[in-house]
Amino acid sequence: MTAVTQEVILNDVLKLLNELARDWEYSGEITPDTWLFADLGFESIDAVVLASFVQEHYGRPFPFPQLLADIGQRPVRDLRISELVLFIQQHLNGSAAGA
Amino acid sequence: MGRRVLLIGLDGATFSILDPLMEDGVMPGLQRLIASGARSELTSVVPALTPPAWTSLMTGRSPGNHGIFDFLRFDLRSGQPQLRVLNSDDVACPTIWSILSRHGLTSTVLNFPMTFPARGISGSVVPGWVPWRHLRLACYPKSLYARLTEALPQFNPRELAMDMSLEERALEGCTREEDYEHLIELHIRRERQWFQVLTHLMREQPSDLTAVLFDGVDKLQHFCWRFLDRAIFSASPSAFSSTWESRVRGWCLEYFREIDRFLVEIAAMAGADTSVIIASDHGFGPTVEVFYLNEWLHRNGYLVWADAANVEQKHAETLGLGTMARRFYEIDWSKTTAYCPTPSGNGIYITPPSAGAGGIPAERYQSFRRELMEALLRFTDPATGEPVVKRIWTQEEAFTGTHMAAAPDLTLILRDGGLVSILPSDVLLKPRPEPAGAHRPNGVFVAAGKGIEHGLRVPPLSILDVAPLLLYSLDLPVPQDLEGRVPETLFGPQYLRSHPVGFEALPAEPAVTAAQARDVDLQLEAQVIGQLRALGYME
Repeated sequence: MTAVTQEVILNDVLKLLNELARDWEYSGEITPDTWLFADLGFESIDAVVLASFVQEHYGRPFPFPQLLADIGQRPVRDLRISELVLFIQQHLNGSAAGA
Repeated sequence: MGRRVLLIGLDGATFSILDPLMEDGVMPGLQRLIASGARSELTSVVPALTPPAWTSLMTGRSPGNHGIFDFLRFDLRSGQPQLRVLNSDDVACPTIWSILSRHGLTSTVLNFPMTFPARGISGSVVPGWVPWRHLRLACYPKSLYARLTEALPQFNPRELAMDMSLEERALEGCTREEDYEHLIELHIRRERQWFQVLTHLMREQPSDLTAVLFDGVDKLQHFCWRFLDRAIFSASPSAFSSTWESRVRGWCLEYFREIDRFLVEIAAMAGADTSVIIASDHGFGPTVEVFYLNEWLHRNGYLVWADAANVEQKHAETLGLGTMARRFYEIDWSKTTAYCPTPSGNGIYITPPSAGAGGIPAERYQSFRRELMEALLRFTDPATGEPVVKRIWTQEEAFTGTHMAAAPDLTLILRDGGLVSILPSDVLLKPRPEPAGAHRPNGVFVAAGKGIEHGLRVPPLSILDVAPLLLYSLDLPVPQDLEGRVPETLFGPQYLRSHPVGFEALPAEPAVTAAQARDVDLQLEAQVIGQLRALGYME
């Protein structure tokens, strides 16, 4: 199976967030460097729902607990979009390779 | 045009509040509706809690079969203890709207829990308990949100859906007049948002089944019980004559007046050919004390915190959200044999061996559980000597079904009907400074429409009876696996003869839920506690 590139996943994630952000009164541009909590004003429950959308979009589970545990170890408990994309790519392609 | 049904959910509504409001002229519309049909108490499931109870109403199945026992799923059996937020993927049985779709009928479904992610049905779904930031993509069909925003200039997702920051702010300090005013206004605005969405869809896209849930009733009763319960404010009339308490009561009454106006307008819009059913998921009553269950488990040797130093901070009122969230992950599972993971369901889980060396092996399970039950039932109020735990449901008593294994091992009913605290504490039992509202098993049921007798007051029905009644009212057969029955006492004998209840063979039972199939595993912490706290389940 062909590996999904970071560019494709980034486009997917940005499309999803830009669609949602129409209601958020967020005037800035959403980029790979945007922080989910600090910039977009996420509440933690928003992370739960975003994870649902990502899983629904790709039709498969991702180990979000692992990602969140990693975030919990950091001084800054936040996540850049680029990190989310990398996380998705690693597990999407890891799963594809093993399939 | 065929028959139609309107289902109006009033989360947590109880006749002990509604009857006095009707007597006092606050809810004349509800009074007229009841006079034109039938009323009954509606017995909830165990636990009498929003997610399992509404899911039972939506599916006609008990929690042991639909698999929803709480807001969260606590899983010790997979080896790594986990808490996970439940959603529609976890509902293991077909909903009434999916059954209607199978028969070619349409539904409009607004604000019901466990409907996110919205499943494809014939009709429209705006799921409940969804954070407002995500509502745009949470609706079904996907185009629905854009259509609502275009058609309704006042549409505001931040007021309609969950805004944790607003809810938490409203509830963090409900001690001052303005806190209550803010909370009540928040819920009036929210109900108005749902009302405008509902009436818009009823006009533009009428469905065979229209179902809406107004959830502010539950919230107000949790936090404003003493302003609503006639037994409390009548006992101290001076406190309610000229003080700020009387103003808070006035705002509460305004909320219920608004709900009554909605009931009248919705029923009028639906028309005389539409059967109207009002139901609540559970009732309500006062709670006057807090039982610190995990502290009791700790002191009796069942629960060990991993970080003893951290537990020194014992006063609940000094604990922030982050600290509370960490509690679950600060358990020493190698030494813990029983734990209450959430403050909403009064459920205790017994640790299996896979969760750590301290787990209880299968051969010891029955004796261990019996001893734990006996010890809990022996616990008494030191001031009065009265037992604090009134009843304990075992897993197989409360949750027999295909998903029983995921249910709590024990579910406690406390003497005051309240919820336990999961926090450490200096004391095991503490009086509340003021009475608050807590769930009771007896909710409300009102029905009016074709074939339903007028002015009936019938014995309590089961919440499991609502799904069969909805299907019957739409001339559909009742699937044989539904656990309730069509309440024939509502109908005259002649009507029943001409409209016999039909049944259909069991649809194929899904072996696993969508969540199990996807192995979704969202181990998220703080949002869980924050959500529950904002919903009024966190002490």
